[in-house]
Amino acid sequence: MIYVAPLPREAITDPEMLDLIEQSEALGVPDDLFPRIVARAAEQAKPFMRALLMSHAEGNVDHCLKEIIRILLARFAGDRYFAALRSRKAREMGLDEERIAAGCGDYEDSDLFTEAEKCALRYADQMYLDATKVDAAFYAEIKTHFTEPQIMELGAFIAFHYGMQMFMRSLGAAAPRGTP
Amino acid sequence: MRYSELMATDPDAIDAAFLDALRQHYSEEEIVELGLFIGFNLGYHTFFGTLKFYPLFSPDGRLLTQAESEKIYGPAPGSLQPSEHAK
Repeated sequence: MIYVAPLPREAITDPEMLDLIEQSEALGVPDDLFPRIVARAAEQAKPFMRALLMSHAEGNVDHCLKEIIRILLARFAGDRYFAALRSRKAREMGLDEERIAAGCGDYEDSDLFTEAEKCALRYADQMYLDATKVDAAFYAEIKTHFTEPQIMELGAFIAFHYGMQMFMRSLGAAAPRGTP
Repeated sequence: MRYSELMATDPDAIDAAFLDALRQHYSEEEIVELGLFIGFNLGYHTFFGTLKFYPLFSPDGRLLTQAESEKIYGPAPGSLQPSEHAK
């Protein structure tokens, strides 16, 4: 059972928040649980929701790569809720469970990923496993695959989603029914 | 403060009993606000730490270059230093 109960949908009347919930449901990440919880802190809810959706579904880094990174981080964070959610946009782009499992496993030896994708996965993996390995040499390497704006986009995406996953874990959020 | 430290170091210790204790002091709205703030900072401080930012100002208020700041504040940014409780 989740420690902080989400607001009932009918208790949320702010048009922008309702639009953000619709955007979430269309994307599939998050579903309506996260926004109904954060809606309890009305002033914070909208900017957090905008950042969550924008950092994942927009930008100049491949959405499917971000989706794999998001799931890898959620598993690392021990957050069953976000780990179980899947982006419909990524699925429509061809991302399947085999590729997700490979990205969350031994991606370094997988032939499913380019060197650039492996470097991005390593960025997420090492950030919260051993941040000292994300050093000047690592940034020099990642710059051979991505532009500096893309690296900042990736880093901010990783930091924000990991933080929200740790928050949801702290609330004891479970995986939604019917999710992988 | 305990909520922030546990989220980073021992999230399994944040259970229903811990949340009940938190409710003695904070409303549901405040708990969600705190949790979002802590999660956000938990994620971003590690990211910023990897970028090796140094303070822009010296302890006496002078504007510094990053090289000057590193000499004053040392090679490891404060954001990567473990807290006293986490040691």
